[in-house]
Amino acid sequence: MLWVDKHRPKVLDHVMVHTEIAHNLKKLVKEEDCPHLLFYGPSGSGKKTLIMALLRQMFGPSAEKVKVENRTWKVDAGSRSLDLELTTLSSANHIEISPSDAGFQDRYVVQEVIKEMAKNRPIDTKGKKVFKVLVLNDVDKLSREAQHSLRRTMEKYSAYCRLILCCNSSSRVTEAIRSRCLNVRINAPTEEQIVEVLELIGKKEGLQLPPGFAARIAEKSNRNLRRAILSFETCRVQQYPFTSKQEISPMDWEEYISEIASDIMKEQSPKRLFQVRGKLYDLLINCIPPEIILKRLLRELLRKLDAELKHEVCHWAAYYEHRMRLGQKSIFHIEAFVAKFMSIYKSFLIATFG
Amino acid sequence: MAKRNCVVILSSEDEDGTYNAHSSSSSRSYTKPKSKSRSTSISSRGRKKARAWHSRSHLSKLHEIDLFGDDFNEVFTGSKVSAGTQRSFAEELWVDKYKPHSPEELAVHKKKVEDVKMWFEERLRPSKGVYTNNVLLISGQAGVGKSVCSTTFLIWPLSCTGCATQENLEMLIFGALGFCGLVSKSSLLSMFVLAAIHVIASHLGAIVYGWNTPTPVIWQEHLYNSGTGTQYSSKLDEFESFVERVRKYGLLLTSNTGESKPSIILVIDDLPMTNGKSAFGRLKNCLQLLVNSTRIPTAILLTDYGNADSVDYNARCLEELKLSLESSGACKVAFNPITANTMKKILLRICQMEQCDVTAEYVDLIAKTSGGDIRHAITSLQFFCLKPNLMHSLALFPPATCSHGSLKEESNKPVISDDGYSLHFGRDEALSLFHALGKFLHNKRETGGGTEYDHGFVICERLSRLPSKMDVPEKILCQAHVQPGPVADFLHENVLDFLDDEAIDDAWILSSYLGDADILLAKLRGMLCSYNEAEGILQSAAASIAVRGVLFGNSHPLPSRWHAVRRPKLWQVEKASLYKNEVDRLRIPARKRFSSYHMSIMATEYMPMLKLLGNRACGDYHEPSQKSSRGLEMEDFDFNKMDLDEQSRSISDDDIEDW
Repeated sequence: MLWVDKHRPKVLDHVMVHTEIAHNLKKLVKEEDCPHLLFYGPSGSGKKTLIMALLRQMFGPSAEKVKVENRTWKVDAGSRSLDLELTTLSSANHIEISPSDAGFQDRYVVQEVIKEMAKNRPIDTKGKKVFKVLVLNDVDKLSREAQHSLRRTMEKYSAYCRLILCCNSSSRVTEAIRSRCLNVRINAPTEEQIVEVLELIGKKEGLQLPPGFAARIAEKSNRNLRRAILSFETCRVQQYPFTSKQEISPMDWEEYISEIASDIMKEQSPKRLFQVRGKLYDLLINCIPPEIILKRLLRELLRKLDAELKHEVCHWAAYYEHRMRLGQKSIFHIEAFVAKFMSIYKSFLIATFG
Repeated sequence: MAKRNCVVILSSEDEDGTYNAHSSSSSRSYTKPKSKSRSTSISSRGRKKARAWHSRSHLSKLHEIDLFGDDFNEVFTGSKVSAGTQRSFAEELWVDKYKPHSPEELAVHKKKVEDVKMWFEERLRPSKGVYTNNVLLISGQAGVGKSVCSTTFLIWPLSCTGCATQENLEMLIFGALGFCGLVSKSSLLSMFVLAAIHVIASHLGAIVYGWNTPTPVIWQEHLYNSGTGTQYSSKLDEFESFVERVRKYGLLLTSNTGESKPSIILVIDDLPMTNGKSAFGRLKNCLQLLVNSTRIPTAILLTDYGNADSVDYNARCLEELKLSLESSGACKVAFNPITANTMKKILLRICQMEQCDVTAEYVDLIAKTSGGDIRHAITSLQFFCLKPNLMHSLALFPPATCSHGSLKEESNKPVISDDGYSLHFGRDEALSLFHALGKFLHNKRETGGGTEYDHGFVICERLSRLPSKMDVPEKILCQAHVQPGPVADFLHENVLDFLDDEAIDDAWILSSYLGDADILLAKLRGMLCSYNEAEGILQSAAASIAVRGVLFGNSHPLPSRWHAVRRPKLWQVEKASLYKNEVDRLRIPARKRFSSYHMSIMATEYMPMLKLLGNRACGDYHEPSQKSSRGLEMEDFDFNKMDLDEQSRSISDDDIEDW
């Protein structure tokens, strides 16, 4: 098992980073009637960990006994019936799904799953009816229709189940849903917190950490705890005992994007744009999400850019990021951004150097 | 009786379902004869059957074959030919009248003619040894002279080389019947083929055997007849048994030719229509057998229907058939559509001989609108000469296809202005996707002349473009029958090749427009089931924006040079990333135990790390994918499982290795 999983805090008491939140959640569970919850925050900040710990707090160790299955739902959508397949993780008391995986059919999934859960409500040992919990991942990636149907089903079935929603950005969750949930913001851990965690893991694994080593990993991790732990493990595999000068290998795709950025800076022509497209395709083939590509690319470009252009470039990046979300083929929009950047940069070069 | 030259025709009418399906909307110029001939041809069928049988017993009745021609002429003349027409068209159709009689007269390209000629000569020269492949596959779209060319050669090279004298030529043309379909249209076609033989045969003084396969049976008819005990046999069955016979025994009719062994050529002009996979499989097998085992030189004529990239099932079947025939050893000659210039020459010659007064402009126009179909062009010409009053209505339209400016404003105008021609003659030309793309990408514009618009407003320098040399983009899109999505993809893939090296601004403008088109198309996501009018408009608008964006954006088009148009790589990328997603999911089942991660996290954080970790860290991983000692290198995965083509496979392998 990877360290990320191995050293994940299992109960709310062991949580290291968001202790305050963990404490509050514990109180919530004690009061029996837990509201719907919406966890939001950047990736790698510990949302999932908190949810899992919360579930354990609610249902005891049985919440950890999960089974993974690919389930098919039959959905009646007007005139025809659909077969939807989704991977679910479930225990006796909860189900976890990522409805956005169903693409534009996500709305059916949300409704169907909740309806089904409401149908077979579990009964605890004392014969008392208990809640079932539905964990929905990536709520922000749900389509608008799905979010609306989620809102309706939330109200209709709130007597039978509780929802725990999890997403990166609450701004893409409709107001209606947000107001029906207890919003829990999980911010990214600070670098000090990450260092703390890394040192604890090091202690548990019985490793000698040279001073400043954990801090360097934390710095590279971009305040993403998961990433920090993963790269910590990678370093362990690559070289142990650690040396303080040890190189912390960056992600290959990030390297690749910075390569693209320097390509763009070097030459601005349709031909180069075409080469860049090829490289972007490589990233997309490897499932790197286009939003992340665009964001990273902007960062790399800004690093090399003259201050007076930064504002304009950021504006266009935002513009095309928005259009990318409206559209379907992300490459069109990333490429349009690259072309725009090239055009701006080229005229800037001509203006400055003649 | 000993030496007789006979041309055997196994044909009546080809029920060419695919042809009809393709052209039902096109060739409006035929509508008049069609509607008439429906009635006549049905009534004539019984007559024909009787007569056909009759002609078999009286072997020398040459003209019997001509009955389709008669029917058609009847229709032609029977329809509204104004009394003022000075010529009588009753005698013959021009298509038949001016059928080429020697290879020199053929409109087909010299090189292709030579190919076919060589092939026949080699096969027919008695001194030569046995050839293993005795099948020639001639393909091309309708009306490019496939039948005429091959049938002309059946006669010509023989007499030229002297390897076979005219006396002992036997020729067999099999026009297999499909079942059901529109009768009128196809009767026109088969009339043509038959007439071709007829002309050639008479040229040789040959005797024509007319054998009509049973008329196509329509289901209602079959039901009606079923009481009388007639068995239904599909045309495919008949074709199969025919091929079987040919393979085993040669031609049946050779027996009566006496001592000298005649040279025989088998021409299969129309393949039976197949419906469904199994029927198609049978046809394919049967033809493959024929290719492998026939000893008679055989020419199979295949008509290409539209583009190979069309989604139509029949078109794809045909393509597959062609490939399978080729792979089993048939020699292939593809006829291109006849060029406008050649066509013009021929049309002018006919005009001259008919002494009809058609201006060169109109001949030019007919040649251009016929889409490389000479048969159609000649008929159009005849039709055109038939109705002098047509000239007036035509004259309302400028003879040259009017070029439209590239101005956006004009897109609002409905595209009817230059549709006028096709109402009278010319086929609604279907462009191949690549042809249309070529037009958009090359972006040919008028040179010089300045930009003057009579719209009454001024366009600033930066936004004005020279008028475009082509039709309005929407019309071209319409002709190419393509979905807007693929158009945008194709343009996106290829457009950068056509930009000037300095023109990065152009690249931005057009990629921005392509983005607009994408956003419009994305609105359709998930609504594919409920198609309605508004969405159709949205789609068309998206396509229009994509195309016009490309045309407008590319403000410094390169001088045209040869460019290959690539298939969008985007499609492969989409497939490959989906596949990879699956693979990754399978590879990390251990993750799943705890909680499911979204694939973006998998891709951005886990996968790169796992690659770095390699096998060493995951000793305690007990999943099947980890068993392979080759580690976690991505290229180890079996990309063959993906349903991608060769190219993409190599791409995905290589590029990932580069990482």
